[in-house]
Amino acid sequence: MNGDLRTASDNDAGTGPGADPLEPGEAGVQPGAPARRAVAPLSEDSRLAIDIRGLVERGEMDEARERFGALVEIHQRRASRIAYQYLRDAADADEVVQDAFVKVFSRITSYRETWPFEVWFTRILINGCLDRRKARRRRDRWFVGAEITSADEAGVAASAPAADPEHRLLARERRATIAAAIDRLDGRQRTVFMLCHYGDCTPREVSVMTGLKESTVRVHLFRAARKLRHLLGGKP
Amino acid sequence: MIPRTRHIQEARLFEVYVAERTGEPVQPPVAEHLADCEACGRRYTELVAFMDTLRREGDAEADAVFNASRLRAQQQQIAHRVALVGRPARVISFPGRIVRRTITASAARTAPRWIAAAAAAGLFIGVAVGASYQFRWGGPPRARQAFVVRDGASARASRVTAIPVRSTGPADMAADEAFLSDLEIALDRPRTRELQAFDELTPHVREIRDR
Repeated sequence: MNGDLRTASDNDAGTGPGADPLEPGEAGVQPGAPARRAVAPLSEDSRLAIDIRGLVERGEMDEARERFGALVEIHQRRASRIAYQYLRDAADADEVVQDAFVKVFSRITSYRETWPFEVWFTRILINGCLDRRKARRRRDRWFVGAEITSADEAGVAASAPAADPEHRLLARERRATIAAAIDRLDGRQRTVFMLCHYGDCTPREVSVMTGLKESTVRVHLFRAARKLRHLLGGKP
Repeated sequence: MIPRTRHIQEARLFEVYVAERTGEPVQPPVAEHLADCEACGRRYTELVAFMDTLRREGDAEADAVFNASRLRAQQQQIAHRVALVGRPARVISFPGRIVRRTITASAARTAPRWIAAAAAAGLFIGVAVGASYQFRWGGPPRARQAFVVRDGASARASRVTAIPVRSTGPADMAADEAFLSDLEIALDRPRTRELQAFDELTPHVREIRDR
């Protein structure tokens, strides 16, 4: 239970060439899982993704690249937040976000409007994060890594120049406590919590991404929140 | 209708929180109870505060790391990488310049080889001429003395014998005599007990002379 969004049938979903991570059947979406079809009007990013797909199919790559920049702008901050919360390392998060966007562009022809672009992209991103976590665990067996890099420290310090050192220290301790508590969550609980809480995904969207039933996602989310409250003593 | 005496369960309370966040409708009885029951209302407020704090702290931390300049750099990096997607891989040309330079370098090394060979030949000739000169005209006095160490079957049988290779003038003979006398005097008075056995095995000059 590591929270990996891939199932046996889509071992390479989101990473393999031509793989459509969210195509039913290929993505391993469970039969009982709710099929979120595009009943609602397409969101801006989904429309943009469809346009880019058309441009790539017609071979208008320069125009496609230009339009893709707008898509990056829409999802970049959210993607960085999710990746950072998942990996707790700025450099790793940065790389994972870049990889996810590059992967999306190179596989854009396999995107289907059946699913919102956000769901498709987030799934690719989360799979990248999980891969990176696995690689880091392997690496940490041999090397001792720092929890917070100096670059992160510098970034956090530079972001709050007005705050006094005591305030900064307290905030850092508080965040470290929260991060440690989240890290103690069970793999699926953590994934569901991350996606719902930091990724702004609805339980239904998370169920599409993970292949879990929506009710299961809700249970995981509730248990994650309860455990966090317990670990943090009700107050973060 | 939920009776007033029974409070909302924690799971149900969390559902309300999720529903409010995602814009889903909240069940009317639950909403009514929350509005009327002070205890449940307080619990709900605490839950919302806890979840919001978690969220706020997480977002603030991530935004501090991924500030505007970092996001811009990331965007540029993505654009750069995306620009390479779909383009044929670059074929790196064979490094002809390096090969040429290597060839030139090896050619340049040919000259020093000749110089080294000439130097070796010169050294050999010099040594040979020097040896023949020494053979004809004699060398320095110390070269005429040689000590031959013969290995025996055991350490007890080993002997150190001084063999005069060539006899020359009377001055040299006197020097030899003086050296041997000094040696004899030194060996005549062994100071160390461990050396006495060794001394007994060693023939003295006078013994040789007496023979």
